[in-house]
Amino acid sequence: MKNRLKVLRAERDWTQAQLADALDVSRQTINAIETGKFDPSLQLAFRASRLFGMRIEEIFHDEDGRSLATEIK
Amino acid sequence: MNQLRPLESGYQSRTMTNIVRLACWNGAWVGTCALIAFGPKFLWNRTLLFTLLAVGLNVCVGVGMLLSNKKYVEGLDELQRRVYLNGLAITVGVSLIAGVPISVMAGYGVIPCKADIACLMMLMALTFLVSMLYGTWRYR
Repeated sequence: MKNRLKVLRAERDWTQAQLADALDVSRQTINAIETGKFDPSLQLAFRASRLFGMRIEEIFHDEDGRSLATEIK
Repeated sequence: MNQLRPLESGYQSRTMTNIVRLACWNGAWVGTCALIAFGPKFLWNRTLLFTLLAVGLNVCVGVGMLLSNKKYVEGLDELQRRVYLNGLAITVGVSLIAGVPISVMAGYGVIPCKADIACLMMLMALTFLVSMLYGTWRYR
């Protein structure tokens, strides 16, 4: 699963540590998600979407780059 | 810059508190293990009552350590929990794979050493340590 976490974080000028604090996870987890080594749970994905004020499918994508919303359309 | 507001009880501080608590329980447990190992001979001259009390204390502190470890694991985030779970899985596997043949070979005198529980505990501790280090490196 791909994600735009790094881009969204950079747009807001947040550090990995700040984002980790806000999502109540370790900085290592944020790094692993950003580099695609670890897929977050649905619960964590929801927390991220609330934090960024976006829908989950706007942050997380399928491997081929399509979001869930695109597939349904 | 948009300011992020960290949660009241941050992950780092909460995990650190859990680690310190677990370390204290671990230290206490090791202390009571030493007490039941050396106490009967050096402290109370093999008096049965004191030995039983020391064993009871060891079990109680052991339960405390177990609960503290449970709390620590529950406090981890999902990635750390996965690393921990992988470490446990590898440790159990290695202990079974290595423990059974060593025990059998020691029983038949194939290897000169005695199949001691301490050796198995050392193997488990080292395997878990290496697994955790590998897991942390893998998701670094």
